[in-house]
Amino acid sequence: MGHRLGTPRMNSGRMWGLGFRNQRIHTHLMEMMLCLKQTIEKNLMYLTIRHPQQDLVLEEQRHSQGISKQEALLGNLMYQLVNLLQSGAMGGLELQWSWPSLDVRDDVGGGQWAQSSRQSDTLVHPLSDPVATFVSQHLSNRGTDISDLYHSIFQDYKIYQRDKYHEVKNTLGFINLGLSENKLCLDLMTERLSQSDMNYIEDDLLQYSDWRGQLFLREEVARFLTYYCKVPDRLDPENVVVLNGCSSVFSTLAMVLCDPGDAFLIPTPFYGGFAFSACLYSKVELILVHLDSEVTDANPCPFQLTVDKLEQALFEARLTGKKVKGLILTNPQNPLGDVYSQDSLQEYLEFAKRYNLHVIIDEIYMLSVFDESITFHSVLSMQSLPDPSRTHVIWGTSKDFGISGFRFGVLYTHNKEVASAVSSFGYLHSISGIAQHKLYRLLQDREWIDQVYLPAYRSRLQRAHEYMTKKLEALGIPFLNRGSGLYIWINLKTYLDPCTFEEELLLHRRFLDNKLMLSRGKIYMCKEPGWFRITFAEKPLRLQQAMHRFYQVLSEQKQDLIVKQLEDTQRE
Amino acid sequence: MFPLPQKESRAPTACPGLASAQDLDSNHGDGLERECSRKPERKLPEFSGVGDAPATVPSDSAYLSSRGSVIKWFWDSAEEGYRTYHMDEYDEEKNPSGIINMGTSENKLCFDLLSSRLSQSDMLRVEPSLLQYPDWRGHLFLREEVARFLSFYCKSPAPLKPENVVVLNGCASVFSALATVLCEVGEAFLIPAPYYGAITQHIYLYGGIRLVCVYLDSEATGLDTRPFQLSVEKLEMALQRANSEGVKVKGLILINPQNPLGDVYSPGELRDYLEFAKRHELHVMVDEVYMLSVFEESAGYHSVLSLEGLPDPQRTHVMWAASKDFGMSGLRFGTLYTENRDVATAVASLCRYHGLSGLVQHQMAQLLRDQDWISQVYLPANHARLKAAHTYVAGELRALGIPFLSGGAGFFLWIDLRKAPPTLQYLPEPTFKEEMLLWRRFLDNKVLLSCGKAFECKEPGWFRLVFSDQAHRLCLGMQRVRWVLEGKPQVPEDSPSYQSQEPGGQCR
Repeated sequence: MGHRLGTPRMNSGRMWGLGFRNQRIHTHLMEMMLCLKQTIEKNLMYLTIRHPQQDLVLEEQRHSQGISKQEALLGNLMYQLVNLLQSGAMGGLELQWSWPSLDVRDDVGGGQWAQSSRQSDTLVHPLSDPVATFVSQHLSNRGTDISDLYHSIFQDYKIYQRDKYHEVKNTLGFINLGLSENKLCLDLMTERLSQSDMNYIEDDLLQYSDWRGQLFLREEVARFLTYYCKVPDRLDPENVVVLNGCSSVFSTLAMVLCDPGDAFLIPTPFYGGFAFSACLYSKVELILVHLDSEVTDANPCPFQLTVDKLEQALFEARLTGKKVKGLILTNPQNPLGDVYSQDSLQEYLEFAKRYNLHVIIDEIYMLSVFDESITFHSVLSMQSLPDPSRTHVIWGTSKDFGISGFRFGVLYTHNKEVASAVSSFGYLHSISGIAQHKLYRLLQDREWIDQVYLPAYRSRLQRAHEYMTKKLEALGIPFLNRGSGLYIWINLKTYLDPCTFEEELLLHRRFLDNKLMLSRGKIYMCKEPGWFRITFAEKPLRLQQAMHRFYQVLSEQKQDLIVKQLEDTQRE
Repeated sequence: MFPLPQKESRAPTACPGLASAQDLDSNHGDGLERECSRKPERKLPEFSGVGDAPATVPSDSAYLSSRGSVIKWFWDSAEEGYRTYHMDEYDEEKNPSGIINMGTSENKLCFDLLSSRLSQSDMLRVEPSLLQYPDWRGHLFLREEVARFLSFYCKSPAPLKPENVVVLNGCASVFSALATVLCEVGEAFLIPAPYYGAITQHIYLYGGIRLVCVYLDSEATGLDTRPFQLSVEKLEMALQRANSEGVKVKGLILINPQNPLGDVYSPGELRDYLEFAKRHELHVMVDEVYMLSVFEESAGYHSVLSLEGLPDPQRTHVMWAASKDFGMSGLRFGTLYTENRDVATAVASLCRYHGLSGLVQHQMAQLLRDQDWISQVYLPANHARLKAAHTYVAGELRALGIPFLSGGAGFFLWIDLRKAPPTLQYLPEPTFKEEMLLWRRFLDNKVLLSCGKAFECKEPGWFRLVFSDQAHRLCLGMQRVRWVLEGKPQVPEDSPSYQSQEPGGQCR
């Protein structure tokens, strides 16, 4: 089956010129019928042929797996056919957003999101809003996909960019508590970056340099991480690769550790950027390890990650033939704000080692732990890493220094092969020499960081956090009270009736209508509807204004719920 | 010839001699989107003129995926020549016997002007908005400046629009992004060869697409009036050949001014190529990264943006950067100009991964805004210095009896070392192996050039020699070139030999 199976998804319901469109649908129908025929034949073959093999149990297992795979495929094909026919019949402006893609092991379509909806625990699409898009005759299918995906995920961000709140100039603009951006220390950063040592220009900075990052910067990063991660031995600058942002680091890691269709385990809820990065370039699947909010014997803390859960998710994925290559951890966690204990960390790493999994650990919030009673343990601080060749650490300055516009991300890995392979992408993710110099000066200034910046940063975080938690408590809203990160994970279930992701989206829109942005749980692949992430690292006045809007929205929502419930009762 | 992707023969075939850059794709292109069941010792592409001892991917890495191993190969081999140079870089005081780099196309003639401009106070402003998440297409203030700047210097008939501008961290990223959004994996772009070889990597890493070469001849025969002339006929033939081999061609890449030939396309030629592309519904990517580095006015350079009525504006995409024209390859600023909103939007969707620091965006905008300085200070000085360096090197080559091409643009001469006085014989046989050996003789004598193979030139014996360097380095470099060519190599004492080294892919 050499042709691309997933194509119909592209054409369904987008606004084609009608004639062209029908013609395309016809072609695709034919293609699909053909495909269906082949699949049925294959399925029959599976049902009848048994491969002689030594191990009968294994063979049995493999056989039934094969059959269920074929059946799933058949189901999918039927589903697509029906949808295609429907969309054709409806004359064309209907949107069918989420077609399950048809990737099977032996036919991983190039331009498709290498994702499958057969399995509920596999990420299909990190979004639920259908977005109307014109299909372009100029873009490739994957180009259209990329464009669509981006716009569906970041449309709020675009609206925000156009209509930002300003105390004087735009008091009706959006306040963004959805984005995790640290806006508490822009004064300190601006001042530090304006000092004269930052403005050094040298020939070397203007020329091509080492694509892994200039040596002076890699050396400084190694020193910096050695110090702040409390590394037992000094880190080696040769293990550092510097790219333009942590998304780039993750994207390149996914490229070099996985082939298309391979998978990473990731506990939910998790930072949505991973989902975007995983499907954008690398076509890597994410196997979701769902965590529960409810506290039980087996689940002593809300959203507690355990090795049992990891193991279960791994086995289930393997049963369906997935090739799981690694585990993604974020510590401190985003959106929960949890910090993993040393013991848990050790357990997760041991688990990964047992199954030869890479661990990508994102420590981008490592300096944003503001509660003094909490100790953050970097994976680099461990006396001996269980599997150093498969442990890859990501860090950047976007959060801890609040300079997301700087575009700086670091990979630290003991694995020379991985470092080299990632370095091949240097051309495509490089940082300006001038910016590299500034970062070098910044990271070098330990005195300023320790005595000026961090104390101020943490106390401001603390205060903002306290302000917001008080507000939430006053409103009776449950939340996770943690001491790290720039955000709080809050539970607005009681404002949803019924408690579904649709209602969650509606509430989200209601916030938007009131010019307030939060991030809803669905974006983080949370399995329970009703959770939101709210950022508190915002200037006090704006925070106040935002909480005012927040309160208003929730009051309206409550009002509506009461009316609705009354109506329901009356009807009964 | 463009090799057919053959699914059955993905297994290694140790084909002797020199494979083309496209072998990468024929052997390994599929690895990008396919479960790779191939096991050991795959033969890898011979990439930038690598002669003997075919590079191989270490049989299955314990850590990397199949495509990861291929990706790593780019780092291991293509960068090696450059690394050699870096380990033994020439320095007037610290390392006078170090290697002089006449291989990397960088303009080192104007650092004095640039650093004084970049140190002025308007450059140093730090504003909170520059430190936060930006508009991913690039800050509006910068896109406005880019549009104004290109309108003026490209002499566009109507003002260009900031909405059509997307800013990325270098042209490499622009190539990569365009390949990704215009093509499916395995599809191809046409490109006249010789060409700037690194494009192969740019479009392959993420895009998984390949190049189909339109091979040009050094002999001016038939309708051609000059060496390596591109014609519509040649484009047609290459396209047909690709089609007949089942390769889907989606676009055409033109580099104007050309790298490595250093010449420019006339408006008439440009229009012919664009019409050709329109007939076949091909996108045209025009890389104009040397547009302000035309130091001979008589060259008569015309940007594609200056044409009245582009044949197919929706499929014409122009790129420019600060790397060459402002001699700041380390600044990582590249820009795409396209009237096609879908393409602009799709490329912008990738910008999260190819963004440029806000502070650098500010500096870039300040620089582009300063038209007085550019037109009255920088460009006159830059052109005069380029011309002087060019004159010197051209004179040296003439004295040596070495033929070369130069069209008055760019930083390099395309020199022909195929023929030599019988006693010298630079290339005893016309093979890429001999070209490689000669390249090594240069390196052993501490001067780095780029060989024609790195540009996918079909005739062995051509080299690109970069002249845009400070006088003392240039003289010393030419002296070392002369030693090699006159057959009296004077290997500096105590110098390690670099017999095992490969030429660099660092040829931009």
